[in-house]
Amino acid sequence: MIAFLSVAPVVLVTLLIGLRGIAAMRTTSDFLVASRRVSPLLNSAAVSGEYLSAASFLGVAGLVVKDGMGALWYPVGFTAGYLAMLVLVAAPMRRSGALTVPDFAVARLASQSLRRLSALVVLVIGGLYLVPQFRTAGLVLSAVSGSEYWVGVVIAAAAVSITLALGGMRAATYVQAFQFYLKLILFIVPAIWLLIQAGPQVRHEAVYPVEFTHFAKDTPVDFQLDVTLELREPTEVIRPDGTRETVPPGELRAPAGTTLVFAEGTPVPLPRGGAVPGGPDWQRPLLDLRHTGYPLLGTWAILIATMLGTMGLPHVLVRFHTSPDGRAARRTAAITVGLLSIFYLIPGIYGTLAKVLVPQLYLAGTTDTAVVALPSQVEVGGWGNVFTGLLTAGAFAAFLATSLGLLLVVSGAIAHDLLPGGLNRLRGTVFAAAAAVVMLALPSARLDAGVLVTWGFTVAASTFCPLLVLGIWWSRLTKAGALAGVTVGLLASAGAIAATLFGGELSGWQAILVAQPAPWSVPLAFVTMIGVSLLGRPPTWAAAAMLRLHLGEQQPARPGLGRDLGHSTWQARRSSAVRRITRRLGR
Amino acid sequence: MPSRRVTVTSPQTRLAHARRRVLTAWRPPVLDPADVQHAMRVYTAQRRRAVLPLVLLVGLLLGLPALLAAFPGLDQVRLLGIPVSWLAMATLPYPLMVGLAAWQLRRAEHAEADDQA
Repeated sequence: MIAFLSVAPVVLVTLLIGLRGIAAMRTTSDFLVASRRVSPLLNSAAVSGEYLSAASFLGVAGLVVKDGMGALWYPVGFTAGYLAMLVLVAAPMRRSGALTVPDFAVARLASQSLRRLSALVVLVIGGLYLVPQFRTAGLVLSAVSGSEYWVGVVIAAAAVSITLALGGMRAATYVQAFQFYLKLILFIVPAIWLLIQAGPQVRHEAVYPVEFTHFAKDTPVDFQLDVTLELREPTEVIRPDGTRETVPPGELRAPAGTTLVFAEGTPVPLPRGGAVPGGPDWQRPLLDLRHTGYPLLGTWAILIATMLGTMGLPHVLVRFHTSPDGRAARRTAAITVGLLSIFYLIPGIYGTLAKVLVPQLYLAGTTDTAVVALPSQVEVGGWGNVFTGLLTAGAFAAFLATSLGLLLVVSGAIAHDLLPGGLNRLRGTVFAAAAAVVMLALPSARLDAGVLVTWGFTVAASTFCPLLVLGIWWSRLTKAGALAGVTVGLLASAGAIAATLFGGELSGWQAILVAQPAPWSVPLAFVTMIGVSLLGRPPTWAAAAMLRLHLGEQQPARPGLGRDLGHSTWQARRSSAVRRITRRLGR
Repeated sequence: MPSRRVTVTSPQTRLAHARRRVLTAWRPPVLDPADVQHAMRVYTAQRRRAVLPLVLLVGLLLGLPALLAAFPGLDQVRLLGIPVSWLAMATLPYPLMVGLAAWQLRRAEHAEADDQA
């Protein structure tokens, strides 16, 4: 009931805004970039709304419970990405006049093969990013309302694809901008209420964490997935019929769909290969990935992947193309840094409170639901239910806003870059892509949302980030160089992901560099791009193609130059004249 | 009399929409030599101005974790009961990045405006 009351309004408002966007849509430009009429203020709210996905709204607090305080570095990297975008990418990329990221490859390098390769990369990133969104939608809905996992997945897919097919980017923009402020309020207000309501004892424990070694009360743990726990001591478990049973040390299998109640005072079992939250390592402000013993390297790897990945995320880049000009795109990036900075001050509050109140989620591997589980721990019924509902609504808004943008770029990559067609094909593709993602999301309930999203960032950082940075700032970049660099980046990051999934166990710093390949795969892609480019020769128009991106909108008036551009002045516009001037770029 | 509703557009628009966009020939970008000189000035100015904010940003992102790793004692120092190292990680970077963004936005817009003067 709570779930219905909280999620239904969000879905309805989303659909209504989508309906408003139907009018005046005739071209692919209208569909993909909202006719480029979005002001910086609206656009930055839309960028932030799109960017604050389930990973930010729920994931960061969950990671704090699971991996320790160091997980709060993720949002720092997320925000830093927009600063890097402001400095390096935003304005010149908008001035390329492209509709999608693969379009940019054509505008700068005139390569159709690079366009197809980029479209493929968009599909990879879109898949890695969309599947966890839909998955978390299913998990959260089933946690709050008790519905089946697939119901939530299908509801999310239907709402997103209908809105998008009807209203395209214009609808997506208004939905995302509205949902940013919705999420901000739905994140801040419950946080304040929780802090006040939790009482001095919990607040004190939040900043003086103790290791979670013994259950403080009879604690039920819901297992939505099969989990194997390691018991170090005899553990007292209360069966559903109320009988107490002592389980001997060893392995305890908890099949999916069961609830185990651990009795008060029993020692906390370990999930396989993990550590309990609250220990001294947990408290360090560094991220010790997979407990390898190299916390600084792990932190750096995450920061590099998230910062450079943000610069290459296709659904974020396409939002900048909706700005009327480069100047507006740059302002959008600057305002976005501010908006995200407000939002990201909050996850730490949820994380530290969740460590005190719901550390047992760690056992079932469902720390993602920590945020929505908190209110009922502080107050049973009444306001507790209200705030659970509000947080569920916010989480659902997060899935919708992010999925809208991702589905749009995936459809754009298919129906604009791979198999170019008109508006109707774009609309049809939206439904087909959504159906495909649902098929992928149904068997992926086990996968960790945070891990998949970070891989999406890593692929983006190793492919589009070097392509954009070198394309905008280095005139000697060639077609072959860009192709080689993107291919190497894609293979390196995808190979590392495959090695993590299917490879053997590694330890120490190698484990970090395989699980988080950004620190080496990004430089590798850059070096490949530069090296292969230096072996060839850029075309004669390369410098002009690059400089065009830096030319501001307000051209200085040149009176007396009332020339007919197509004819009489062609001599002065020869590429040799341009080459003479741009020669010093090569030095 | 009921009749089918049609979209009213200019003949050019109708033609443009009917054409398959991809098949139009790609033409090399053309810049006016006067524009080229202007663009070169803006490009070098922007490149110069991009270096310092990038150095500061990378310094912040790599330096702050290194600092916290080098001084574990900061975990014990508390401000309002909260460990200083937690505050340095979860709050300090944001105002710094907002300031850096505002500063760089002004610089980059000036670089474009200066050149026209």
